[in-house]
Amino acid sequence: MANVATFEAGTAQLLMGNEGIARGALEAGIGFASAYPGNPSSEIIGTLADVAADAGIYVEWSINEKVALEAAAAAAFAGVRSICAMKHNGLNVVLDFLMGLNVTGTKAGLVLVTCDDPGALSSTEEEDSRPVAKWACVPLLEPATFQEEKDMTRWAFELSEQFKTMFLLRGVTRTSHARGDVRIGERLPPNREARFTVDVPLQYTAIPAPPKHMAAHQRQERIREVFEEAPFNWYQGPEKPELLIATCGSGWFYSIEAVRALKAEDRVGILKLGTTWPLPEKLVRRNLARAEKVLVVEEIDPFLENNLKELVGEDPAAVGPKKFYGKRSGHIPSAGEINPDIVTAALAKILDIEHAPVDPDYSQKALALTSFFVHPRMVGFCAGCPHRATFWSVKNALKLDGRDGFVTGDIGCYTMAVGPTGFWQLKTAQAMGSAAGMACGFGNLKGLGFKQPVIAACGDSTFFHATIPALISGIYNKADYILLVLDNSATAMTGFQPHPGTGRTATGGPAPAIDIADVCRALGVRTEVTDPFDLQGTTEKLLDLLEDDGKVRVLVSRRECQLVRARREKAPYVMRVDQEKCIGETCGCARLCTRVFQCPGLIWDAAKGAARIDEVICAGCGVCADICSAGAIIREAAQ
Amino acid sequence: MTKNKDPLNIIITGVGGQGNVLLSQFVGKALVREGYHATIGETYGASQRGGAVMSHLRVSRDTQYGPLIAQGQADIVLGLEPLETMRVLSQYGNSEVVVITNSRPIFPVAVTTGEGVYPSPEQIQSTLEALSSKCWVVDATEIALEMGAPILANIIMMGALVGAGLLPIGAAAFEAELRDSFAGERLETNLAAFRRGMSLTAS
Amino acid sequence: MSPDIKGGRQLLADVINRDLCSLCGACVGMCPYLTAYKGRVVALDDCNLDQGRCYAFCPRTTTDLDAASRAVFGAPYDAGPIGKARDVFMTRSAAGDVRSRGQYGGTVSALAAFALERGLIDSAVLTATGGGMLPEGTLVRAASEVIGCARSNYVAAPTLAAFNREARREDVAKVGVVATPCQALALAKMRASPLENRNNADKLGPVIGLFCTWALRYQEFARFLREKVALNEIKKFDIPPPPANVFQVFSDSTSLSIPLDDVRGFIRNTCNLCLDMTAELADVSVGAAEGVEGWNTLIVRSDRGAELVEAARAAGVLEVDALPDENLNHLKGASLGKRRRAFANIAAMTGSESDLLYLDISDELRRRLVEGE
Repeated sequence: MANVATFEAGTAQLLMGNEGIARGALEAGIGFASAYPGNPSSEIIGTLADVAADAGIYVEWSINEKVALEAAAAAAFAGVRSICAMKHNGLNVVLDFLMGLNVTGTKAGLVLVTCDDPGALSSTEEEDSRPVAKWACVPLLEPATFQEEKDMTRWAFELSEQFKTMFLLRGVTRTSHARGDVRIGERLPPNREARFTVDVPLQYTAIPAPPKHMAAHQRQERIREVFEEAPFNWYQGPEKPELLIATCGSGWFYSIEAVRALKAEDRVGILKLGTTWPLPEKLVRRNLARAEKVLVVEEIDPFLENNLKELVGEDPAAVGPKKFYGKRSGHIPSAGEINPDIVTAALAKILDIEHAPVDPDYSQKALALTSFFVHPRMVGFCAGCPHRATFWSVKNALKLDGRDGFVTGDIGCYTMAVGPTGFWQLKTAQAMGSAAGMACGFGNLKGLGFKQPVIAACGDSTFFHATIPALISGIYNKADYILLVLDNSATAMTGFQPHPGTGRTATGGPAPAIDIADVCRALGVRTEVTDPFDLQGTTEKLLDLLEDDGKVRVLVSRRECQLVRARREKAPYVMRVDQEKCIGETCGCARLCTRVFQCPGLIWDAAKGAARIDEVICAGCGVCADICSAGAIIREAAQ
Repeated sequence: MTKNKDPLNIIITGVGGQGNVLLSQFVGKALVREGYHATIGETYGASQRGGAVMSHLRVSRDTQYGPLIAQGQADIVLGLEPLETMRVLSQYGNSEVVVITNSRPIFPVAVTTGEGVYPSPEQIQSTLEALSSKCWVVDATEIALEMGAPILANIIMMGALVGAGLLPIGAAAFEAELRDSFAGERLETNLAAFRRGMSLTAS
Repeated sequence: MSPDIKGGRQLLADVINRDLCSLCGACVGMCPYLTAYKGRVVALDDCNLDQGRCYAFCPRTTTDLDAASRAVFGAPYDAGPIGKARDVFMTRSAAGDVRSRGQYGGTVSALAAFALERGLIDSAVLTATGGGMLPEGTLVRAASEVIGCARSNYVAAPTLAAFNREARREDVAKVGVVATPCQALALAKMRASPLENRNNADKLGPVIGLFCTWALRYQEFARFLREKVALNEIKKFDIPPPPANVFQVFSDSTSLSIPLDDVRGFIRNTCNLCLDMTAELADVSVGAAEGVEGWNTLIVRSDRGAELVEAARAAGVLEVDALPDENLNHLKGASLGKRRRAFANIAAMTGSESDLLYLDISDELRRRLVEGE
């Protein structure tokens, strides 16, 4: 079967933006790829992992983003072109290393891809990665089309190698997690001659700092010159438009669409920039001079907007007076995703064009007919998810314990326990590993009158990523908390990538499986393992651990992700509801299963006044039979 | 008829886990195979877990379009779930839009918990008729269950889209895509599902 | 339907979160929401019903004493000093071993065992002490099991949870209950409930009430005792008659006498707000006969109670004697004292003479209760 490694040059293929980046890296002849998964970046290294054998490259899921970049940088130091990918949060994890690597430079091409998630569609927070480029003095590219995802990646490797510095490539959800037709190019063979040599003393250090820092700035100016001629920057529109749109990344498609929707092609010009740091200042000044009004269209922060203003400020006479529109003016929102409608509305407002995007009669009719039915769909745990069962027991144990205990959390599928399908149990959710880190603080407040028990919830992948240091810190400082590891044997949220606990490598080969409970026991703390589907047993273990307080204890709640299990085998149980036995809405039940437990496989049959199983959705885990006090939910072994 | 419009704006919608992404990919690949420019904007990530998902698919002879369709600009809505079809229409619909939807509900939490009401089959039919120039409500999930796997509903819906003659390309490109993606018994099942779907809307 | 009956959310607001819960267990064992755990009623989840049995049966939600009394005696509340009393006797079990294993005269064990043996009831809900000193309700089916539950607990027990849970069994038709005053009130409210579902009230047989002045909080008291004695070795508690003023703990390895004042700190708040010392809504009530070693005081209240006592006496399992007037007067004084203290404590808690928390009674009935008329 054809794949991203074996596509023929010259053919058109429907590629996801992330696949385009992967193909671009292969065309650039990379030999090494590493990442920690995180949407919307996961498919870059995932795609490369799937084709590693075909492509003859090394690919790994690293324990966290910092290690991923360190590993990729090492390969680049050894002369192998390397790519490293992560989401915006991952870039935060990497910064400590990045702020040395930026001045150290590289030998072979090294590209770090960071994917931002405007609107936080698959994230717990929203942030813009781009200021890091300016701060760290690292060149930044922003592809706008699917073709550019591929072509700019390839180009970035060439420049990275030429200038001996790492390049940053920024994707966003609508470029990374979208698909379009892409014309495939030729592949360079990977450089297999890896060898580490030091040509100049201290070559691979940031020492001495000030001279190397200065050199980085000088290098940036040389790169700026190259960017003046980059094929990824261009202007289209009238010679002297009434308004200039300056845009980059996802803003490009939206801008074209907005101009077209308003039929304003003869009034508006578009400056499309692919190299957004350092800005090609001559090209930018030349185009800014075209119009007095400038609308900046970009996602998340006013990064381009502020840098354009900076250039104008440096030499106002060169470009003339300017009126800027964008995030600072409120024409483009400064948080959340943008889209063609937002850009069209901004443009219509500035140009004073009447624009009704939708037929008001139709809209009113649609609203009248559908609003009563169209309820939001809350994101929650899947049918059969072990996390729902674990949090059910956590909820019950904390209630029974009665000391107002609570759960700190971090990032993974289990973060959804901030909401109803996890019974609102998770009270904090910031960064990977922060559940245990915060518990180190809560768990040492006893002397200040703090009496509440604390449970820190992390996933199996998160345990390896950033929990271990916080766990050791807690043990060392005698913090009082329970570390709850929700071990579903997968990095489930991002697409079931393997991790050090799974016994598999990124490319599917066998690996030493590191047992989380063994790691904890080796640290000398009481460690219990439970099956979350045993609700009573898990609750009792938690109650026992809650009473055994005054130190760090660990409970590993271990049960494979339902989605992973279902790929391999049939459901263990066939579930049904005996509707005669179901007491439904009456006193004694009040619809505990559908109203409180909220597994999507259980639905309310209003006509019968009883619960029912949705056989299409039910995963056959059997847990709901144990929460039904009427004995109406029947669990039968599957044939 | 919609198939000659350029760009052709298609929204494929459903609930996370129904195979929405796979379905939109098949349609996109078949179009690219036939030399069209296609762009698909998808909802991913957290939205996979029982959330409302949709793919915006944009097709053009001339140029590549952006991954998001503007409000009120859908030409075709292909729904794997009736409520999601309604949700998409209320935002992207217009009086010319053509709708094909699966009839099988997946209750949102508000309905399971009893706070909200789910429309009856009659309400679904009449609402979709009122909000489209033409609509088909097909029992894709029931047929898929008959065929032994509910996930086949998405391939049946793909067949229904092709059978209705709404696309500028015919069944051959889709069957070629299925042959590239599946083998053996799975290929036969998927081909059968696709053809069954075509028969639901063929005039 | 009675607007006074509310749902689980209001039970939490009105009773549990205000520390008025007596842990009688009447709200537990009927649904997955409420459970009793280590001396507390715990709401595991939010029940959204506007009306529920939990609220209807609770002895600390709005209580119409006249209605409760009618359900038991067919007559409004008798505000006499010890409630409705047809007869008051001094009694003891005729069997020496029952006397020695039971508390005081073993009357409760004798009556319960007799009722089971005679088939007046097929099951009895009693309070057993499980591991440590944590008491809980249990359903017994045979007379021989009764003696295992003969012991004063002093720690509040959610006994009625067992009634709620077990009496719904198909093989259970008539259940006797040995109940503290708050539990007897809950059972009366169960009988009187206007809700369609009165739980197992129709299967309720004779209720043998226990005299009670207070009960203790489990968790705090256990923490206190744990420093003195291994909880799982405790065999029996006792409070010998005045002037000893001590709380005795007998365990496998030791016996302790703890100053009673040290123990009083662990009394449940709700006990200070309770009017009822003698389980006035039971069919018969049993307590110590103070100053008369090895005998109980027994108050016969209802027809059901009278039949049981009479039959037990006729069968020779219960020895009956007259209660000295001095004892009766002392009992009445103590009972009235509890009522008066309760009214004072309620007023102190609400800051108002008119807000009586859970009591929905007329000024006239209140006056009569205080005066014992």
